[in-house]
Amino acid sequence: MSAGFSLQQVQAESQRQPALPGWLLLSPLLLWLLLFVIAPAAILLVYSFCRRDALGQVVYDFNLENYKRVFDPIYLRILWRSLFFAGLSTLFCLVIGYPVAYFIGKAAENMRNLLLVLVMIPFWTSFLIRTYAWITILKSEGLLNSLMLSTGLVSLPIEIMYTPAAVIIGLVYAYLPFMILPIYGSVEKLDNALVEAAMDLGAGPLRAFSTVILPLTWPGMVAGALLVFVPALGMFAITDLMGGARVPMVGNVIQNQFLQARDWPFGSALGVTLMTLFILVFWLCSRKLKPLS
Amino acid sequence: MKPTTLLLAAATVMMAGLIACSKTETAVAPAPAKELNLFAWSEYVPQSIIDGFTAETGIKVNYETYASNEEMLSKLLSGATAYDLVQPSEYTVEALIRANKLSPLDHGKIPNLGNLAPEYTQMPHDPGLKYSVPWMAGTVGIVVNNEKIKEPITGYSDVFNKKYKGRIVVLNDNRELVSWVLDTLGLPVNQITADNLAKAKPILADWVKLVKVFDSDSPKTALLNGDVDLGVVWSGEAAILYKENKKFQYVLPKEGAHRFIDSLCIPAGAPHSGAAHLFISYILRPEVSKLISEDFPYTNPNLEARKLLTPEQLENPASYPKGNAKLETFTDIGTSAADIDKLVTDLKSSN
Repeated sequence: MSAGFSLQQVQAESQRQPALPGWLLLSPLLLWLLLFVIAPAAILLVYSFCRRDALGQVVYDFNLENYKRVFDPIYLRILWRSLFFAGLSTLFCLVIGYPVAYFIGKAAENMRNLLLVLVMIPFWTSFLIRTYAWITILKSEGLLNSLMLSTGLVSLPIEIMYTPAAVIIGLVYAYLPFMILPIYGSVEKLDNALVEAAMDLGAGPLRAFSTVILPLTWPGMVAGALLVFVPALGMFAITDLMGGARVPMVGNVIQNQFLQARDWPFGSALGVTLMTLFILVFWLCSRKLKPLS
Repeated sequence: MKPTTLLLAAATVMMAGLIACSKTETAVAPAPAKELNLFAWSEYVPQSIIDGFTAETGIKVNYETYASNEEMLSKLLSGATAYDLVQPSEYTVEALIRANKLSPLDHGKIPNLGNLAPEYTQMPHDPGLKYSVPWMAGTVGIVVNNEKIKEPITGYSDVFNKKYKGRIVVLNDNRELVSWVLDTLGLPVNQITADNLAKAKPILADWVKLVKVFDSDSPKTALLNGDVDLGVVWSGEAAILYKENKKFQYVLPKEGAHRFIDSLCIPAGAPHSGAAHLFISYILRPEVSKLISEDFPYTNPNLEARKLLTPEQLENPASYPKGNAKLETFTDIGTSAADIDKLVTDLKSSN
């Protein structure tokens, strides 16, 4: 670039289209997306229209049988239940995570980083080990039951493990940080002057919250909800380990197609259906985002 | 065939493998670049055997693990890695032989094949051991915590009793579940026809409602934790429970039980067939085979190795069950696996 260009010209240029260095900087990400997002999704899409042979190998003859099976009432019911569990977990995460994120966002600067580290520390341990820790807490002869028995809160151990409640506990625990972090991001940016102005103009705490704070932190809530809902919908390890695999979720059904039933094409069709659902949810959320922000 | 899927365990094994690899690399650096790609069940090959083999032959073992026959099949068939040894169960051996995916064994290179008990050399999936050499065998049977359950339990019909609702753990394996119902009905477990599945459906629907935990990876956990009192599990899991506490009794169901045999096989086109034969011959030595029994108390098909086991190991009813229950191996059912999967998924989700 010659020195004759004015700053404005350069800026205008770069806004129109990223120059070669820009593309170069982007290329690792683009390559990553191509290799690990686009290519696998394309393979999944192709497989979903195929058939399996007796040994479980994919046979390439185009048919719609797998998708017909996806819409069998059996699988629709499972999909519906999975949506319900993922939705409920998201709701719990929001209710628990919002106050936490707000508190951290409004804490003193030096405390803030410490609190954030505390939120993220669990990630230093393997997810499975943390799930096993929950089993130790919740099992019949576990920590929670012995505590409640010894304090006389209950007379018989309560059964939590291998119930839907255990699944929800596991899901909320696993994904809570994904809700806290984006909301924290919104809260931190929240200009206190706006809240004070609302108060000055006569809004009570509830009104200030609902008309000023909530809309301004809405993007964080939506991002958090997506980050929780999407992985919760596909989760299979928690439903297996904490739910006892009694009630299959769509994640378990997909896993079974690949690891037990040797039916990759059907598993792929379920995967593609799930992906379509994610895209739909994402689209709905980004639409919802506009009028409020 | 204890499919310990727990990524956790796999990770530990991999870590151990990494450490072992780095060790052996420094130890036998000048030796010729010989290696063996072993693809086996997770938690099934003691590290001591791999180390011993490398120390003796200088062949580096790349040990990769899987958690189900189906996982092994798909990786093997994809051809991404050229494996020299795989460890399929009997019905998968059968499918692989039929698809010409295994290389015939050179019995001249395995002189100690005679250590195996005769009953394991004439199994229907590979009579005469042309393609496979048994690693370990086992059964699927009933475990009862006899401190909690006082009534005698002799078969599936005793386990799946309304009295024990919410006290039962079973394998999370759809084909196993269906085979127990077929045994109860007196139908052949390997004939998965629409007709037989229809007959099995109402019974299975009742049974599924009684179960508290479905777990193939570690069904012993729920029993040890006191979350359930009885179950139908792999004999190896039951043997470990019995070692832990004698209150966990193992019973072969009177209606009949699944016997499984996991074998070592050389895939067609394996790059290090010579090393694979050496490894097979190595594990058939009684003193080596004994090490497998110590870590994984399934039924050892190696008669010479059994002579080296302690009386306590031999008296473990889960490892070496007594009595004459009807034992059957599974055959490959091909695409019928999908029908089973659909049936069980349907019953579980209408719970």
